[in-house]
Amino acid sequence: MLLGKGRGKLLDVKEIDVTYGRAKVLHDVSLQLNQGEVVFIVGRNGAGKTTLLKTISGLMKPSKGSIVYNGEDTRGLSSAKLAQKGVRYVAQDKKVFSHLTVRDNIELAAYAAGEEMSTAIQRTTSIYPKLNDLMDNKAGGLSGGEREILLIGRALVGNPRLFLIDEPTEGLAAIVIEDIFRILSQMKGHNVSAFIVEQNLSIVNRLADRVYIMKEGKIIREISEKPEMADTKDLESYL
Amino acid sequence: MIHTIVYGFTIGAILYFIAIGLSLTFGMMRVINFAHTLTYTLGVYMLVSLGALFKGYFVIAAMIAVVVVIPISYLIERCIIRRLYGESLDHTFIATFAIALIGVDTIKWIWGVLPYPLSDPIGEYLTIGGLTLPIYRIVIVMIAILLFIGLEFFFRKSIVGKIVVAALEDRDGVGCLGIDVDHYFSIVFMMGSALAALGGVLYAPISSVHPYMGLSILLLCFAVVIVGGMGNLRGTFVSALALGMIMAVTARYWSQGAETMVFIVMAIVLIFRPIDI
Ligand SMILES: Nc1ncnc2c1ncn2[C@@H]1O[C@H](COP(=O)(O)OP(=O)(O)OP(=O)(O)O)[C@@H](O)[C@H]1O
Ligand SMILES: [Mg+2]
Repeated sequence: MLLGKGRGKLLDVKEIDVTYGRAKVLHDVSLQLNQGEVVFIVGRNGAGKTTLLKTISGLMKPSKGSIVYNGEDTRGLSSAKLAQKGVRYVAQDKKVFSHLTVRDNIELAAYAAGEEMSTAIQRTTSIYPKLNDLMDNKAGGLSGGEREILLIGRALVGNPRLFLIDEPTEGLAAIVIEDIFRILSQMKGHNVSAFIVEQNLSIVNRLADRVYIMKEGKIIREISEKPEMADTKDLESYL
Repeated sequence: MIHTIVYGFTIGAILYFIAIGLSLTFGMMRVINFAHTLTYTLGVYMLVSLGALFKGYFVIAAMIAVVVVIPISYLIERCIIRRLYGESLDHTFIATFAIALIGVDTIKWIWGVLPYPLSDPIGEYLTIGGLTLPIYRIVIVMIAILLFIGLEFFFRKSIVGKIVVAALEDRDGVGCLGIDVDHYFSIVFMMGSALAALGGVLYAPISSVHPYMGLSILLLCFAVVIVGGMGNLRGTFVSALALGMIMAVTARYWSQGAETMVFIVMAIVLIFRPIDI
């Protein structure tokens, strides 16, 4: 599914500030992602996690600092340009194109990536074969879990290099969370590079290569040791 | 009464042609586009000039008039509307209103202020069971229905249509797939402008042609868009026909009240379903 075996630096975010109007919500945030790494971002509601992913995806622009993706400064790049260069942002709200069918949702991704529809469908359903039975349903009629899976599946189209996934398990039932876990770990098995925002610590400690903890618009801690990541009690204190 | 109904459908059809573009501009790009009056009126004045040139060939003159509007709308989108994406609604309103006013003055300068009389290009009547109906009005309604079917097909089956439907709902989501939404929007904008010009061209022979004709009908079209739901294409069709009918029926009993009634209906709809911007 995905390549990127090397351990070169894929993303380098340096000291960015991000504001909504006058309100500054990210302060001097720096982080890195290496090829093939799955890194989680953890923090309370309102900590700025979504804002951070939106900024990396190009939907928002930092007022200070720089973001270098794959060796290129992203300052002048729109979200569409970044997507063409292999960045996929899966937003928090599980917002599929609800008036279109599941197939049409995938078709738009295939069209954007210049990929054959059969390949695109195969990529999307590879993570969750049940999607095959839902192809002609309106995406708006899918359950929350199915929507999230469609969004992640759709993001796989075009063989991207960097995934930004915002709270994939939010609001889902326990069994469905396990489906999402399986999908993410399957992706990890294929060496994807991803930033994932997640509050579910069992997912975090089973999948994370590293964890960043955010609080009030700042990165307050980086964890790269397994035992520390497994210490959910400690992590929980940040939620 | 049958006359009133046919009249209502005709007005509704014309409102539909014009309202599609407005609804799409608002739904996709959050721009209130008053410049739409300009494309509508320009289409009509092109018809006036071309009609003199192609005497007796209304269809040819009308088609050229609509086509001429397309590059003009392209320039409006490229030079002005495109700078308004993401601006607050009142800015979009002020800027596009300025375009409309400049357009009106330009039209006065080129064609003068006096109304142009145009006549029904078919001029024949259809008599069924003692009723005489102007064929031209029936043709207008037929074109509107064909257009509706064509657009349904376009938005459901073509890739551009699907991109527009998706962008109406979630513009950022489409962008994040790697699709340049602005590019598709400019296609849609030209399409909407051409349809407004078509509406003008079809309506001109049965109404009066003057430089301000676009402004009054545009207000009605905003009512259509609000009642139908912004960016909701089927809603726009239904609301255009319904409001056209309301105008025709009101006019039958109280001719000055026809337009007022449209805005009363709009106000009632807004009370029960406020716009969420
Ligand atoms: N559109 C906006 N305009 C103004 N302020 C905003 C906007 N969106 C978010 N904020 C503010 O920015 C801060 C960070 O929000 P953000 O959505 O990035 O947090 P988050 O960590 O993703 O939270 P959650 O866990 O609830 O998703 C919050 O204080 C929020 O109120
Ligand atoms: Mg968030």
